Amino acid sequence: MAIRPVASAVSGETPSGSRRRRGIDWNAPGRDRDLSLLMLAPAVFVLVFTNLLPVLESLQTSFYAYNLSIPNAIPTFLGLDNYVRLLSDDAFLSSFRTTLVFVTISVTLELIIGIALGLLITGNSPLVGVLRVVLLLSFIMAPVAAGVLWRTLYNVSWGPINYFIELLGFPRQEFLASTVQALGAVIAVEVWQQVPPVAFVVAAGITSIPTDIYRAASADGARAWKQFWWITLPLVRPVIFVVLILRTMDAFKVFDIVATLTQGGPASATKLLSYMIWERGLRFLDIGYASAMSWLFLLVVFAISLVFIRALDRARAGAEGEA
Amino acid sequence: MRNILSWVGMALVYLIVIVIMLFPIYWLVITSLKPAYMAQTNPPVFFTPLLSAENYRALWNDPSIRGYFVNSLTVALGATGFSLLFGSLAAYSLSKSYLRFALRRAILLWVLLIRIFPPIVVGIPYFTLLHRFHLTDTQLGLMITHVAMTLPFVIWLLLGFFQDVPAELEKAAMLDGCSLVRRFSQIALPMVLPGLAVTAIFAFIISWNEYLFAAILTSFNAKTLPVAIATFIGERRLEWGAMSALGSLMLIPPAIFAFLGQHYIVRGLTFGAVKE
Repeated sequence: MAIRPVASAVSGETPSGSRRRRGIDWNAPGRDRDLSLLMLAPAVFVLVFTNLLPVLESLQTSFYAYNLSIPNAIPTFLGLDNYVRLLSDDAFLSSFRTTLVFVTISVTLELIIGIALGLLITGNSPLVGVLRVVLLLSFIMAPVAAGVLWRTLYNVSWGPINYFIELLGFPRQEFLASTVQALGAVIAVEVWQQVPPVAFVVAAGITSIPTDIYRAASADGARAWKQFWWITLPLVRPVIFVVLILRTMDAFKVFDIVATLTQGGPASATKLLSYMIWERGLRFLDIGYASAMSWLFLLVVFAISLVFIRALDRARAGAEGEA
Repeated sequence: MRNILSWVGMALVYLIVIVIMLFPIYWLVITSLKPAYMAQTNPPVFFTPLLSAENYRALWNDPSIRGYFVNSLTVALGATGFSLLFGSLAAYSLSKSYLRFALRRAILLWVLLIRIFPPIVVGIPYFTLLHRFHLTDTQLGLMITHVAMTLPFVIWLLLGFFQDVPAELEKAAMLDGCSLVRRFSQIALPMVLPGLAVTAIFAFIISWNEYLFAAILTSFNAKTLPVAIATFIGERRLEWGAMSALGSLMLIPPAIFAFLGQHYIVRGLTFGAVKE
């Protein structure tokens, strides 16, 4: 990061003179800029060391064969071999697919349910306050804890969910132990935890819509669902877009609930990329290969995020054009 | 009549949603308060008057759990403090136009990109880097990685709050000869105090709940509560009561803070992009 030292940035500028005191002249021209740089410096310093350097280190490692579980292992340069191997690694590709399915279904459900809940918490029922607090609770619970908790809920022989399923006359379900159901079960936990933020943000968008629009629509005889479809939804669209981007970025990161719910199983059915990379790099200590995985992962997440962010910019520009 | 029916219908919808969303948390709390023999029964025990605090007492008497609690608290408070200190300075600097637009934009974009990074991408290099600096399994080491997560968040959130401070106030102070540092500490900072509080709440919750880095970088000395509760799965498989008690306790600090800061929650959730 090119931050010029304060002294050199000042040199060549004459002090204003009028208010010069002993020591530092706080009002010299350019002083504000120097101080601005100085204030920025600690944060930039921290981010360089905790983000930029580690990521570059990871990039470098990804070009090497380096396994820490081998005593005195010396990294050997492979060039792009790790990446080439990854593209035909069935375990990686299947984890990639699992992640895409997980993200797509989770985020879609979160948006649909979140918009519905957003409408509920902007209503004028006395129960709105209660619902808001309830939503807050599921959302702020540590995801690891949520994973452990839902394991008890899903339990085949004594879990409450299976109790109700049996009560309704259906056979008990294996959920986390079934290769077919496990991913859905993980998605349900993710949705339970992440619907609240969507609802809160959508509700904020809805409350910012001027009420006279609705009054005018009512006067024109528009029914509730028509008002929702033609007024509410278009006006909160930018807000929904922001949530969509943030939720997508975060859904790709999910690790905690998998670690406590399923540990990626059964038979890799819930092995999301974060979990796969963790397993490869920090359990099997194959950090060269795992770093290549994480870089491919990073590139994909970046690409998807950028596509979304550009779409948001275009939508915003469009909305401003209309207004 | 139609009005009453629709009112009852809506109330029913609210109640159903509340029950569905709340049930898991109710289950966690009730399991933690049940006597051990009721923890795994079919049909499940949904309520019992025989509540007992034995699980909580067991946790309290476990010195290792107390240690993990101290670690969690130290790391979360430290990460919150450092990220607020560095973040408020940076956010203020970025909210003014003394630096070139291109530089400010580049830094803000970089900070935004960090928000996109899946943590595991830096998790592996952290593991080797902390080892190199002899910081593995220390509170300080974990704290640094948590600051890395909370700082981008703090910068973006505070940026919005600083931009809301009326420019006239600072202009007046500037004409009175206040330096940038004084304008920051005596005018802008007091004005964004609520923003600082909310940002601190978010930073605290992020660090308090963080699991991945804690799992990778700590093993014994600096182990935090999220790692402790995860080990109930591997090592203490049958102690659902104690596990639920720990889960309930872990929920208390974020619950209090979130309740206090719920007015600004949307701003925090959207990285400052949506203001209430």
